[in-house]
Order: sequence, then C-alpha cells, then structure tokens
Amino acid sequence: MIEDELVKILGADGVARERAAREAYSADMSFAHSIMPDCVARPRNAEEIAKIVKLANLTLTPLVPVSSGPPHFRGDTVPGMGGTVIVDLRGMKSIVRVDRQNKTALCEPGTTFAELLPAVEKEGLRLNMPLLPRRSKSVVGSLLEREPVTMPGYHWDIADPLACVEVVFGTGDLFRTGSAAGPGTLEDQWARGLAPNYAEGPSQASLHRVIQGAQGTMGIVTWASMRCELLPELEEPFMAGSPRLDTLLDLVHWLIRLRLVDECFIVNNTNLAVIMAATRPDDFHELKSALPRWILFFTIAGYTYMPEERVDYQTRDMMDLSRRVAVAPAKTMAGIPASELLKKVRRPSDEPYWKLRREGGCQDICFLTLYDKLPGLVAAMDDRADAGGCPSSHLGVYLQPLVQGSTCHCEFNLFYDRESARESDRIRDLVGIATRDLMAGGAFFSRPYGENAKIIMNGDAATSAALAKVKAIFDPNNIMNPGKLCF
Amino acid sequence: MSLEKEVYRAFEDVVGPENISEDPAILDAYAWVGKSAGAKRPVMPGDEKKDVATFVFAPRFQAVILPKDTLEVQAIVKTCNRRGVKVRAFSTGWVGGNVPGSSHVVLLDLRRMNRILEINEKNMYAVVEPYVIAAQLQAELMKKGLNCNVNGGGAHTSALPLAAFWGTGHMGQSTSNGERNLLAVEWVTPEGEIVRLGSSGSSNEWFCGDGPGPSLRGIIRGATTPLGGMGVYTKAATKVYHWPGPPVFPVEGVSPHYGPGAMPPCFMIRYFSFPSFEKLDEAQCKIGESRIAFELMGFPMSMIAANMATSNEEEISTFERLRTQVQGPGFIVIIAGNSQGDFEYKKRVLERITRETDGKSLEIMEDPKIGGAQLWRFIRISASVRETMRAAGGHFGIFPGHSQFLSITRFTRKVAEMKGELQRKGLLVDDGADAFPWTEEHGYIAHAEVLFRFAPSHESIVGIQGLRKDSVELALHEPVGVPFFATGDQLHDVFGPVSSNYHLWLRKIKKAFDPSGTADSAGYITARD
Amino acid sequence: MALEDYRGDMEMCCRCSLCKFMPVERIKGYHHVNGCPSIARYNFHAYSGGGRLNIAVAMLQERLDFSDKLLEVVYNCQMCGACDVSCKYVMDMEVLEPLNELRIKCVEDGRTIPALDHLMKRLRKQGAMVPGSRAGRGKWAHGLDVKAWAAQKTEVLYHAGCRSSFDKELWSVARATVTLLQKAGVDVGIAGEQESCCGGRAYQMGYKADFLRQARCNIEAFEKYGVRTLVTGCADCYHAFKVLYDKFGMKGDLEVLHTAEYFDRLITEGRLKLVHEVAAKVTYHDPCRLGRLGEPYICREGSEVPGQVRIFDPPRDYRRGTHGVYDPPRAVLKSIPGLELLEMDRIKEYAWCCGAGGGVKEANDEFAQWTARQRIGEAESTGAQAIVTACPGCEQNFRDALKGSGSGLRVYDLVEVLEKATQEGGCSSCL
Repeated sequence: MIEDELVKILGADGVARERAAREAYSADMSFAHSIMPDCVARPRNAEEIAKIVKLANLTLTPLVPVSSGPPHFRGDTVPGMGGTVIVDLRGMKSIVRVDRQNKTALCEPGTTFAELLPAVEKEGLRLNMPLLPRRSKSVVGSLLEREPVTMPGYHWDIADPLACVEVVFGTGDLFRTGSAAGPGTLEDQWARGLAPNYAEGPSQASLHRVIQGAQGTMGIVTWASMRCELLPELEEPFMAGSPRLDTLLDLVHWLIRLRLVDECFIVNNTNLAVIMAATRPDDFHELKSALPRWILFFTIAGYTYMPEERVDYQTRDMMDLSRRVAVAPAKTMAGIPASELLKKVRRPSDEPYWKLRREGGCQDICFLTLYDKLPGLVAAMDDRADAGGCPSSHLGVYLQPLVQGSTCHCEFNLFYDRESARESDRIRDLVGIATRDLMAGGAFFSRPYGENAKIIMNGDAATSAALAKVKAIFDPNNIMNPGKLCF
Repeated sequence: MSLEKEVYRAFEDVVGPENISEDPAILDAYAWVGKSAGAKRPVMPGDEKKDVATFVFAPRFQAVILPKDTLEVQAIVKTCNRRGVKVRAFSTGWVGGNVPGSSHVVLLDLRRMNRILEINEKNMYAVVEPYVIAAQLQAELMKKGLNCNVNGGGAHTSALPLAAFWGTGHMGQSTSNGERNLLAVEWVTPEGEIVRLGSSGSSNEWFCGDGPGPSLRGIIRGATTPLGGMGVYTKAATKVYHWPGPPVFPVEGVSPHYGPGAMPPCFMIRYFSFPSFEKLDEAQCKIGESRIAFELMGFPMSMIAANMATSNEEEISTFERLRTQVQGPGFIVIIAGNSQGDFEYKKRVLERITRETDGKSLEIMEDPKIGGAQLWRFIRISASVRETMRAAGGHFGIFPGHSQFLSITRFTRKVAEMKGELQRKGLLVDDGADAFPWTEEHGYIAHAEVLFRFAPSHESIVGIQGLRKDSVELALHEPVGVPFFATGDQLHDVFGPVSSNYHLWLRKIKKAFDPSGTADSAGYITARD
Repeated sequence: MALEDYRGDMEMCCRCSLCKFMPVERIKGYHHVNGCPSIARYNFHAYSGGGRLNIAVAMLQERLDFSDKLLEVVYNCQMCGACDVSCKYVMDMEVLEPLNELRIKCVEDGRTIPALDHLMKRLRKQGAMVPGSRAGRGKWAHGLDVKAWAAQKTEVLYHAGCRSSFDKELWSVARATVTLLQKAGVDVGIAGEQESCCGGRAYQMGYKADFLRQARCNIEAFEKYGVRTLVTGCADCYHAFKVLYDKFGMKGDLEVLHTAEYFDRLITEGRLKLVHEVAAKVTYHDPCRLGRLGEPYICREGSEVPGQVRIFDPPRDYRRGTHGVYDPPRAVLKSIPGLELLEMDRIKEYAWCCGAGGGVKEANDEFAQWTARQRIGEAESTGAQAIVTACPGCEQNFRDALKGSGSGLRVYDLVEVLEKATQEGGCSSCL
C-alpha cells in the first residue's frame, strides 16, 4: 500500500492514517464534494517531497498539497477523487532568509503570516499582504494563489510579491524559477551576493507564472521568495466615505496613478463593520449604519529621507485630488480611527477569522475587472442576491486595486449560517447563478475555484486546451490534484 | 530553395498577390543583417580569407508575407504546418532582429498590423498590434497624461512588449520592462491556434494576461522572448504609467538639433559622476529605494557623448571634453514631479543622496537647452542608433540579464575589462571600458550591459567571439543568473544543466506547442531529445 | 562618383527602420508618422531607403542581379529624401546619393522604365520634360511686358521651368511672379522660348548624361547672357541649379533663389507691400527640393581615416536637411494680412512628399496620386481651406489627386496667394 511506502520515506510520524486526521482534509468550508483522502503525508524537506511525487507517479496516486491550516475555503485542497494522499507542508516552517539589502524574504510553505511578519519587521521590512488573512494562512500558499494585496503601488505585476520558487513538478523533478534557477545552488548564489529576487526566467520561459494559480496541479512548492517593502518611518492612514462607488474609484485611480499611497482598498460598510466589530462585538449594526456605504482606506508614508516632508506634500496633493471629487478623507470615520484599521490591516485577522464572525460561514465570489464595470457588477450582484433571498445589504464587498491600478479585484463575501442546510443551499445556488451573471457582465474569474471552476474554464476553451498541454509537460500522469481547474 | 509553386499559391490565396514575394530583390532586403553580423555568427575555418563585408547578409530565405490581421496570420501558420514550411515573425527588425536562422523559412512581416486598438486611461493600459512603434503609442498616451515603457532600442521599434528581445528601456526605473508590463495577449501558436490569454480570452477585455488558473504568460516568454520560436503575437496589452509632462512635448529646431524651447515645468535632468564604483552603486541603490527618479541609467560618458553629438567627429571631441569633467563612473537621472511639492521633495532627496555619495553634477547637463534636448532624447529614446551604430557600423553587447544589482555590476565590470583589452588592441571603438548598469522598478530589479562598437574585420570578429566565449565562462563560474544572451540550442545546453535544467523544460514546451517545428527556432530552442 | 563609391555608406545600414518614419522626436501622435511614401504604400522592406541600400550592396556583391521587381523597387520612389534626413539624424552616411547612383547604374546598364525613356526622348528633342515644343515654351509670357534675356541684360533671370511653361493652369503663377517682381522694382528678364529644362528631374531618374548635357547648355547660356541671379518658382529647378550644378562644378557664382526666398527678401526690404487682407486658413506644404533637399551642396571630400570610428580627413560634413528653405515661405504667408497658417504634422525637413518626384508621376501616376491623397488628408486634418506650396510639380499632383475626390481643399502656389494680397481692389475673402 502506498502508505507503507510513504512511511519508508517519511517515517511513521510522517504519515497519518487515522480517520480523524484524514477527515480534517476531506471537506472544507466550500461546497466541494467531500472525499476522504487515503492518508496524510507530512514531508520535512524537498528531498522527501520529490520522493513522494516519484512514488505517486509509479502508483498513479493523486496528491493534494496543503500548506495552510484550516479552515480552508476554496475547495482546492479537498481531494477530487478517491485514493488521494494529502501532502501536508505545514511542518515546513523555516524562515530561511530575510535580506534587507535586496528586500526579499524566503520561507517554506508552512510559514504563516503571523510567523513571517516579525522576522521581516526585524530587518525594517514589511510584506505586501492580503487583507486580513486568517492566522493559519500560509504565506507561500497566498502567493501561489495570486491573492490580492493591499499596496497596489508596489504591485508591478500580478505575480507580485512572489519572486522565485523551488518546486517539485508533478514529474518528481526539482526546479527553481527566476534568478534562483542558477547557475549554482542557493547557497552558492548567496555567497556571491546574489538574491532570489527576480521572478522572470530563467531564460525564455517564466514558470513561476505557470505554478501560480495552478492550485497545486503542476507541482509542490518547497519554498518561495518574495519581495518585501520598506517599513515606513512615518505614516498617516486615512479613510474616505461616499454613498457612490464611482466617486471613490475616481479618487483611487489618481491616488495610485500619482503613487501617493501605500495601502489602498475599498470595503463596504458591512465588511468594515465586520472587521472592526471584533473589538466592538455588540456594535456591528450600529457601526454599519453609521458608516457610509463605501469606505476607502489608504495610507501615506514617509521613508528614509525627510519622511515628514514627504507625508506633508503627499497629503496636500491627496487633499487636492479629494476636493476635485468632493470627497473628504479623514482620520476617523464613525468613531473608528484610521490608525486602528491600519493596525489590523498590517496583521493577520484576529480570531475568529473575520469572515466567519457574522454567521459562521462565508462564501466568496472573487474576480478581476475594470473600474468602470464595478458599479454595474455590484448592482448586478445586489439584484441577484436580493432575488436569491440573500439580502444585498448583508453582502460584504471588498475592492482591491491591483497591478498599479490596471485592474481591480472585486470580492463579494456572502456570510451565512453553515449549520442551516436551507441557507447553505440558497448560498450555493446564489454563488452559481451570480458567477454566471457576473461573467456575462465582464467579470474575469482569473482564479476559478470549486464547482464553478469548470464553467469558468469552459468559457475560454483555447486557454484550457493550451493549459492541458502545459499540464501534460509538468504532470504527465495527472497525479497533482486531479479534477481541479480543467484537468 | 524556393517554395513549391502550390505552397506559394496557398499563401497567395490568403494575403493576395501584392502581399507576398519570393523575389530575390525583396528577400535580400530582409536578409540584411548589417555589420554586426560578424559578431553573431560563429567564426568558421577559412573566414580569415573572406571579405567580412559579405557577412552582412543572412542566407536568403523562401518568401516574405505581409498579413493584415490575426486570421491571416493563423491561416498562414496553419498552411506552414500542413506544408512543412517554417515561419518566423518580424516587425521593425533592428540589428538584424528576427532574420530567419536558415533558408527554409517564410518571414511574416507584420507591418500591416499597426493599429492602436485601445487606450484605457482609467485602468492604465494600451492595446497594440505589432507594428505600432513606441513613438506613436507614447505620443498618443502623452495626450492623455500617460506614458509607456519604450525599449532601449528606441521609439522606432515596436510598442508590443513581446517584440523586443527582452524589453528593458531607459525609463525602467519608473516604467518597468516588457515582461512585467505585459497584460493580455493574442497569440497564434506554432500550430495555428489562436489563444487569447487572460481576460482577453474570458471576457474580451485586455486588462489581465493571467488565468484563468495558471498563466500562459509564463509559456510565451520568460526574461527573454522566444524570438519567433513560439509562434506569432498579434496583439498585446501593456501597462502604462502617469506622465506629468505636457500633452505634446514642445520640441523645436531642425534636424539634427531638436530640443524643447524650455525645460517643461517639474522636470530636471542631471548627470552625476562618482569617485568610485562603490559610491555610484550606493547612490543608485539609495535613489531606487527613495523612489524619486523617473529615469535612472548608468550611462557611461561615451554613450552620453554619442547621444549628444550629431556626428562622429563631434562625438569624439565631446567625449574627450566631457571625460575630463567627470570624476569617475556616473549615471543620468531624470526627476519628474507630479506636483510642485513632489518635484521639490524629489530634488531635495536627490541632492542629499548625491552629497552623501560624493556625486558631482556635470555642468553641461544643467544647461536648460542641452539638458532639455537630452531629457527628450532619453524619454522618447530617439538616439540609441547614435550610441550603438553610428561610430563604426558594428555593434554587439554582452547582456547578463536581470539579477541582483551589485552582483550584476560586478559581472559586467569584469566583462568591461575584457572589452578594454580588445580596445587596446585596436579591435573595438575605444570609448572607455565601462559597463552600463541600471535598476528598474525603483531599484528592485537590476540590468546591465556592456556594449561594443566595432568596424568589422576578421581580427575584430575573432576578438569579439573570444570575448563572448570568455563571457560565457564567466557567466558559468561567477554567475549572476542565466544570461540574456543564452539563446539557441548550443547556449541553452551550456547553461541549462547548471540552472535547474531549464533547457529540458523549454524543449518540452517547444515540443508540446510546436510538434512540427514550424516556428523557426534559431533564437529559441528546438525540441530535439 | 559611382555606386561603388558609396559602398562604405550603404554597408553602415543597421536596419533601424528610421528611414521609414519621420524623426521620432517629432512624432506627436499615431497618425502622420510615415516619412517614406514608398514603403508606406508597398510595405515590403525593400521599398524603404534602407531596403534599397541593402539591395544595392547585394548587387555590388553580385548576390543579386537586375530583375523587373528590382526595377520596380528602384523606380517606385519619389527620391524625396525623407529617408536621408531621418537616417542622418542618427547616422553619418548617405542614403539618397547612393539611391540616385543606383538609378544611374540602372540607366547605364540599359535597365530603364519605358515611360521615363520616353521623357528623355522628349527632353533631348524639345529641351523639356513635359509635352510641348521648344517653340512654344515662351507662350506663357505673351502679353507680358518683360525683358527677354537675349535682348538685354537684367539683374535677375526668372526661370519658369518646364511645367509652368507648358501647363496652362500654371501660367498664371509664372505671370504673377513676373508682375510681382516688377511691382517690387526688380529688373527681371526671362529666356522665353530659349529657356531649356534644368535637367534636374532627369538626374533624379538616373539619366546623368542627359542632365549633364542640359546643365552645360544652360550654364553656357547663362554666361553668354550674363545671368548673375536666377529666380525660379519650381523646387526641382531650384534644386538643380543650386545643388546639382554645384555638385558637378558648374554653378560658379550664379546666385540661385526660389521665389519664396526672393519675395521674402523683397517684403522684408519693404519693396513689396501687402495691402489687402486675405482671410483664409491655409496650410503650407514644403516641397522636397526646396525644403530638405534645398540646402547648399556640400562637396563629398575626405578620405576615410583608418581606425575603428568612421571619420574622414578632412572631416566630412553631411547635408542633413538643417538648412533647407523652410522659413521664407512661411514668413511670406505670415506677412499676408488676415491669413492664418496652420501647420501639418509633417513639415520642414520631415515633410511628406507630394508624390510627383523621381519620375513617379510619369511612370506610376497611381502611386503619385496615392501619395498626394495622404498629404491632402493631412492638410484637411488641420482645418485649412487650402494647401499652399511652392512648386508646380506639387501643385499639379495635388490638383490631379483632388479631382473627383469631393474634397473642398484648394491648391495654391505661394505666389498666387501673395498676388491677392497685393492686388488693387482685392477682396478679403478671395481664397
């Protein structure tokens, strides 16, 4: 049995076969069909991972890599078929290197944001983070999922802040991307003053892009390096509210275009109330009704050289822009200090995970789109939610400009009671119908998960056909997370 | 070897008789590589007896075809597959760029595909066809207060971020490079399938090139492009950036003396020299981190002189004069303010940094007229040909690629020393043995080059080929990543085994997407086992 | 000089493609960026200035021989010099000169275009490049009280040129020129039926021997009749007398002026008064041989200094279009009360060709008119009511292209507009 072979590679402690351990991976918070894995393998290093993958090729055993702790939300870590082995990387937690000079950090997949943040901050650096990731979220996992990050001005490319990875492809071969590829080992490169900071290549392909967004279908990443940014010497957070989304989007466009801001995102009153109500548990409704429908949050920062002057003139320029769209950024809103929100935004979510606080469950609908399409898509979602018996006023909305303003991540958070079968069904139906509606309205589902992944992938047959060729290269036996995406 | 008549007719059926030719007079103009050819082809036995001037032509290939749109490109590529003909795409073709590597190839000249399809100001991207030149795109963007990265080759080259070899340019400090600016792409694969990457395939918009799921951007190019070996890119979107300058740059004068009447508000250009490489590098790093520069380029003085001068004689005297006015290596820096406050702040930070690093400003660059003309030339990128070709006609470069800044400068300075040896032997233009490093994305990425200019002779070609070989050795033993000049089977087979065997994956990619070997692979890799 | 003498220049081509475009620093938008009509029309690289140089090298290397296609490439070129100017912005090399030598080689090797051969026959017989007999050359001046050079020496000789002499639609321009010069007190004479073709266009087409024969005849005549200053309103003639005759050592001290230059001088000196308003919006088209090619000839001297950098001893200067005649016609137009000058995108040294030059009008009128239509579109985009130029060749080609086009754009010679500003009782909306 494969478990026995795995024990030979990993030792008895490295393989969990008991039901309780397997059950934890058989389902998640999504509507993915529950399938029990055969066992859970817990490798400690790349060599062990490579052996696992080679073994899986021989036995045609499906593998599902997992790097974050529960709860999982997207269905990508739930086995797609029987006989699956979970490759649990959470034990690989080494923070290998934080390099101030080259502004990079390199860590293993089990490292969480909570663990990495102090390490980079010690060097005067910070991460371009997603918004309030759960405490158990793997940094590497987040990077590989192309999760949106809160500082669009530093987001030059959609792959950022990911730099290089070391991966065991589905063939069992080890590969390093970008400037980490070589010549030489990582240690050789460090000895020569090099850093794994350049993502593209080596040479005429950029395989980090093929590994990102793949939901573990191409291989298993053993470490990743990432860009870090400088910790500011001084920063001023602001919030600006409006009943009109387009007004705030106008302002957002200019704030990012003129490189005035670091953090910059928009949430609706529901989401902000959910986030802030953790510290005010009984105030959710009051807070929500005191807030304008849309809230823009951003920071202006100063660094090494004359930080006060920088913050001063950028604040003046920001105010000029705000006046043009009749928006008044302030340091507090509805009694919430912007500085308090900033503190939260710089860290993973407090427990319980913010998305689960309201009702215990949450389904996300995420896509990318153009600024001009956002109001229409929000309205379409509102309509669909109302028609589906899930009041639009309960929806959370999170809008994150990305890639220096060339696109915007739009996320609808559907909070619901997971324990209620009726509500679960309603939400499940709503997610399916809304996804189709939104696709028709111009939403680009760049990260398709779960049940709707097939519809999304089928919407672009040529890309799916090309991806099938790519899959055949890196995982010819289709052992890596089969059944996901178009594979 | 000509195309079979019926194959020719098949192509003619697609584009019409006036858009295809196999006439030698037409083909030889495309087969022209120019004086730089000698540096690129391997030295063969008997070369010492040949007239190096004859190297200016590549082998004459089979036909050139001018498609007008993607569907014609597709039809041609499919015909190539069916008929066993190789194909290679071509746009402005500078420095013999994309001349087919063998004679059994048809060339697609994409000149008729020259539209700007969209400029989306709000989402800051533009969509172009391959024969839009960067000057056209930049000029249209500037009317809307936007700007784009322009390849270092110049504004007369394609604006498509997949046409150039790698796509770095002078403004990379603030406008990144072709690989990272690329958004959605329309791609005709070597098998003739049309694949639209990212949002263009899913929602008919061009703002994102990645997904759904994994990104095919990783397949169609890497740090360098496949140089025709992976089919034809027929449309692409590129990120654009804010432009704080006037909608039409106020250029005055008559050729060759162009320049603005006055420096536009909130713009400044300086050339700073430093007493040592260490100080120069420190200044570049600090400027990068402080994010104040619109442009930051470690031009050696020889390139500044070449850029400024309107003739070779003037270049020589300018170089001689200016090199006495600098204390060591230096860089050009352009500051552009989005507001007066922004401008003043950036200037003060620059002043502090250059004071901390003992930088000395070159006086001539402070002159508004001369500086203004330089500023525009470094934004429009209009004088790269002066810097590379005018002196002697032959040009070559060693390009280690993107890597960590201090390491890449160390590497290129060693190559520059090798260059110096060839200069002392009289085999290269003696323009100082300096490397040419710069950073992009406010210091996050670094790139460097060592450029040589030469009048071809057997001796100079042997010398350059020797230097090239030594650079390969240096890149292997004191590596800074897989160098950009690693293209073609031979060099991939050298660098691949010591770099995660990337060459084996490239071969698989080539095989998967081009099973018949239809896309000419001279600059890429073949699928051989 | 022969084609081989330009081999060093031609081999410098690096295929940057700048020869296809106007100077990139001057590009202000997507439209109107092409510099070379030939490649803009025919698209294959061979049709660019650089492409033709590449072909010429291929011929010198005996890699390529004459063919119909080669001749088609060589002769579908207006010899406008736009490629030369764009190239010389960044390079020290000749482009137009070797293109001309390539044509000369074609003619010397008997590889010609029948339409152009026919022109030469006419030239040899009638001393004109257009239909018409020698005897009828002076008819345009009938009724004009103007001195004939054979009868008396004058301060200035007005050379009408072949087109103005024989195209009745252009007679008014020639007549107006003489009248205005006389009004300004210039002692002007004409050669009338003794006038002969300058030969410039024959040279453009590669018929060097015919050009030289015409040049010798003309210079002999000028010397015989004591011509010291020649004024012409034709850019081809201007270029021939000023540049080509100098190139072949025949110009001597002859002062050659275009009417644009001369009238600008006369206006500045106060000798010509512009008293009437001409309320109109016009744009000005720079003729190639008055503009970028109208600068003085520079003798190609100096031998290449051995070494890496391509320099010469003595240093070689290049005609880069810097000193063409751009400002005088504009100054004339700007001095006309009520006239508003709207500039096109491609002007001065990077002006788009009218389409007529280099024998294209005669050998491939479809291409000539295509080229003109591009320019007409560009003119219309300025909002101008009329396009004003300073060459009968340009005027003819624009008029031909406008016929049946439905465009309301009108074509004027500079002198016609000037005349309106000096007319007694002229009205203010006469354009």
